[in-house]
Amino acid sequence: MEKILGKRIKRDLRENYFRYLALSLMIILAMYLIVSLVGAAETIMQGTEKSAQKHHLEDGEFTLFVPLTPKEEESLTKQGITLEKMFYLDYRQEDGSTLRVSKNRQQINLIALDVGELPEHSKEVVLEKRYCTEHNLRVGDEIHLGAEGQTYTIVGIGSTPDYDAPFRNLTDSSVDSRQFGTAFVSSEEYDSLKAQGSSEKSEEYVYAYLLNGKETKKELKEKLENFELSMESVEDPYFQEYYEENLGQRDKFLDGVTELKDGTKELSEGLQELAASNQDLQKGAEQEAYEGSIELLDGVTRLKEESEELLDTYFDVKLSKLTSLLPVEDNPRVAAAAEDQVINKLAGLAAGVIVMILFTYVISIFIIHGIDKESMVIGALYALGVKEKELLHHYLILPTAVTFFAGVIGTVLGYSTIGVEVQMMDCYNYFSIPHFSKVYSLYLLVYGVVMPPVAAVVVNYLVIRKRLKRPVLSLLKNEKKTRAVQKINLGSMGFVGRFRIRQMIREARAGFTVILGMFISMLILMLGIDCYVMCKNFSVENKADTKYEYMYTYKYPEQKVPKGGEACYAKGLNKEVFGYNLEVTLLGIREENPYFDAKITKSKSQVVISSAMAQKYGLSKGDHVVLSDEEAEQDYVFTVEDITQFSPGLYVFMEIDSMRELFGAGDDYYNVVFSAEDLGIDTNRLYSTTTRAQIEKSSDVFVNMMMPMIYMMTGVSILIFCVVMYLMMKVMLDRAAFSISMIKIFGYRKKEINKLYLSGNFYMVAAGAAVCIPLSKWVMDEMYPILVSNVACGMNLTFSWQMYAGLYLAILVLYFIINQFLVLRLSKMLPAEVLKNRE
Amino acid sequence: MYLEVKDMKKSYGENESYIQVLKGITTGVEKGQMCVIQGTSGSGKSTFLNCIGGLDTLDSGSIKVDGKEVAGLKPDALSDYRRENLGFIFQFYNLVPNLTVKENIQVCEYLSEHPLDMDELLETLGLTEHQNKFPSQLSGGQQQRCAIARALIKNPKLLLCDEPTGALDSKTSKDILILLEKINQKYGTTMLIVTHNNSIKNMVHKVIRIKDGQISREYQNKNRIPAAELEDL
Repeated sequence: MEKILGKRIKRDLRENYFRYLALSLMIILAMYLIVSLVGAAETIMQGTEKSAQKHHLEDGEFTLFVPLTPKEEESLTKQGITLEKMFYLDYRQEDGSTLRVSKNRQQINLIALDVGELPEHSKEVVLEKRYCTEHNLRVGDEIHLGAEGQTYTIVGIGSTPDYDAPFRNLTDSSVDSRQFGTAFVSSEEYDSLKAQGSSEKSEEYVYAYLLNGKETKKELKEKLENFELSMESVEDPYFQEYYEENLGQRDKFLDGVTELKDGTKELSEGLQELAASNQDLQKGAEQEAYEGSIELLDGVTRLKEESEELLDTYFDVKLSKLTSLLPVEDNPRVAAAAEDQVINKLAGLAAGVIVMILFTYVISIFIIHGIDKESMVIGALYALGVKEKELLHHYLILPTAVTFFAGVIGTVLGYSTIGVEVQMMDCYNYFSIPHFSKVYSLYLLVYGVVMPPVAAVVVNYLVIRKRLKRPVLSLLKNEKKTRAVQKINLGSMGFVGRFRIRQMIREARAGFTVILGMFISMLILMLGIDCYVMCKNFSVENKADTKYEYMYTYKYPEQKVPKGGEACYAKGLNKEVFGYNLEVTLLGIREENPYFDAKITKSKSQVVISSAMAQKYGLSKGDHVVLSDEEAEQDYVFTVEDITQFSPGLYVFMEIDSMRELFGAGDDYYNVVFSAEDLGIDTNRLYSTTTRAQIEKSSDVFVNMMMPMIYMMTGVSILIFCVVMYLMMKVMLDRAAFSISMIKIFGYRKKEINKLYLSGNFYMVAAGAAVCIPLSKWVMDEMYPILVSNVACGMNLTFSWQMYAGLYLAILVLYFIINQFLVLRLSKMLPAEVLKNRE
Repeated sequence: MYLEVKDMKKSYGENESYIQVLKGITTGVEKGQMCVIQGTSGSGKSTFLNCIGGLDTLDSGSIKVDGKEVAGLKPDALSDYRRENLGFIFQFYNLVPNLTVKENIQVCEYLSEHPLDMDELLETLGLTEHQNKFPSQLSGGQQQRCAIARALIKNPKLLLCDEPTGALDSKTSKDILILLEKINQKYGTTMLIVTHNNSIKNMVHKVIRIKDGQISREYQNKNRIPAAELEDL
């Protein structure tokens, strides 16, 4: 029997080819997008993991004030820890970009070459791939480095796993490869460059480590903290100066006391000799002087001991050799591409199920329409002994087959050259990662091929079964169940109004699907718009909020603040959001500073936060914010006194003296200087220099990068909206075909019929849009922070009322266009056809 | 007695809308007999047929078909009962629109372990030349013949016909009745025909007249007229 009934499935497909073609195309598109998106995510995630193993990704890295001594290094390596010196020098290029030059890696964070070879010889360099792409550089091209702009030939292009996201600074919000890249030269070449001393700032002493399971990071950190600062090994004059300023006075004082003690001892010894040479004198003046000097020596010795204790207690300005220790899991540069894909993967898989439920629900509406139309036939078949499960099985075949084949095609396309590779382009165009081979995940293949038919079976089973469960007689008589809502008393409303309301109630299921389709397409659109708005606001606000021209971050601050500079105290603390541990800058500023509009007060607990910080962590005035100092293993709780408009980063502002007091810094301590002009600070004193121009250029990175995705989201949402709306409104018309033809016989004109059967939908769409637009915006605003949880920037997702009005208008315009197609269909409904159908 | 009905009662609705449609019907039909159930609209004749066909449930009473109790069977068992024993013919043919004549019949052929021969049945019903046509390409009479073939293909022991000529013109009605008579003779199928047409009673073995839910008259027709000779159809 199923074989015979199966024949009608083919005919049903032929009769309604447009309907099933449209739905199949939608499912193909949805599965293509999801499989390619998730396939790309899986490829990048697994590729990153394999690449990390292959290229010996660090377990973490630490930065020191001065390099480890050979003895210290040996003490660590003896414990089984592998170390790799990743010292670097930053060089400004002619176009204003910066190249961070390091030695070729030997054991950790090895270079993954895309093309070329490693730099073994003089004047050879390997460049990071994204920088090369942005600067149109190829193997064989030349760049200039060093004091005299020496020419280096590019011998290789690649990437390293510790600069997956090539952020210049760890606190950067976005990658801008037009502005920054990494470069690698041979050991000798690096030393030669260093000797020339023309880098943007002093050399950074960064070590990568592999614990090899021999020690914990805590144990390593303790060891590093216990290493004594060896002044003799430090050649840097700025470090010497800094040391002198901080610990020099203490040492001078101790040296003075030691000299006093030594002098006293010499005096005592001299007097002892003198006393011994004057034997005849009994208790002469010399003897008394000698005894007194002994007492003096004891006293001075005690003075020295007490002074040391006193200084240790009250002059506790130790210079820790360890600047920072960053475990790999907290390093925003590492595995950033893979982390970025986690959200894509989860969101893609969830979106696939939601979209499939919508499409299968749309199919179920058609099936229901078919069942209602064939009610008497079904009743007759039941009467003849055909069983419910046989018919249920029959009615499930078509949606299952359509979704299965569409799923297969979508999955194949998703994994084709126009699928995963295309989706990965965005990632390749932002992150610096090797080219990964496509990964075929069994779960994704099963998802793409099995999920659509399973969703179709589940949704259709639930919907169809109820319809087929009706009593045989009810089916034979084609009884229409009148629900309570259909009995609604419409009072004295006019005929047209009553008719439209009854028609809407009758077609509530299709109407609900139109609204559901509208909501889902609006969600997709909102994802695109939120993305656009965030990137745009980020760009505009970053430019507007950056009031300084230069920001100098010091390694060795001068005693006096450079003229024209605004001294601040910055400290990097951490705060977790959705599982990501992001760095937040606590910035100590003066109340009257010209660069930040923060109304700070003198308090160690009250802070003003940047708008970016408030948006990222959902903070409001009066909230408590907990920031962690992971170095000191200490948490700080602050109360948010105010929120100030500042978009460029996650900042917490505090009164500078209060901050110095809180963190035990000197009264005039600072480590950041903002200025309106170039202060000409010697770069060897600095960690980094950030200019307003750099911030402006970087601000547009997100907009440029996200535009293809925004266009895609907009296109897909419009497509879903139009297809679902057209199909559902068409099914409403088809179901009313008999009535429409009847009233045509009664003499109703086309315009009047349109008014009765189609115009009512306008109110439904208008009301639906009025609900769906703000609702989808709200839902997406709630979800969006999770989607960008790994991005260290604010999220201003607000858009103007004109945008809402534009969306509303666009929905109505699309409705009117679709309505025109349906009006044409209405014209084609002839009374004779209806009578024939009845027969 | 092939079909035995005892004290069949059936009502619908509650309180003010309560109505007792069948008020204790007791009757029976012998194997191979053609029986007409007559009555005016609302008399309960269709309800009587539906209860026998397991399409509706009884309030009380008993229905035995070939000695087996049908009343009180659960839906699945009723479905099996219909599948194994019954054929149904309706006033409206209720054919699957996008299956051909032969395919419509085949739907029920697969329900039976011992179906009739398809070609022979098509020939008997004069559908051989129409077997590949769709219902919309057939006349009303041809569609009804197709519906009869669909009901007969599984070789039912009992054929229940609810106004089988209700939607047909006089000539086509006679053709259908001749066909039913021929089937009865050829396959020995027991038939229950609900009709408001007064002439049909003349061709059957037994007539049951129902009025207000009760049998008002019941008799064996000893002067049967062949269907071909029926008038005023």
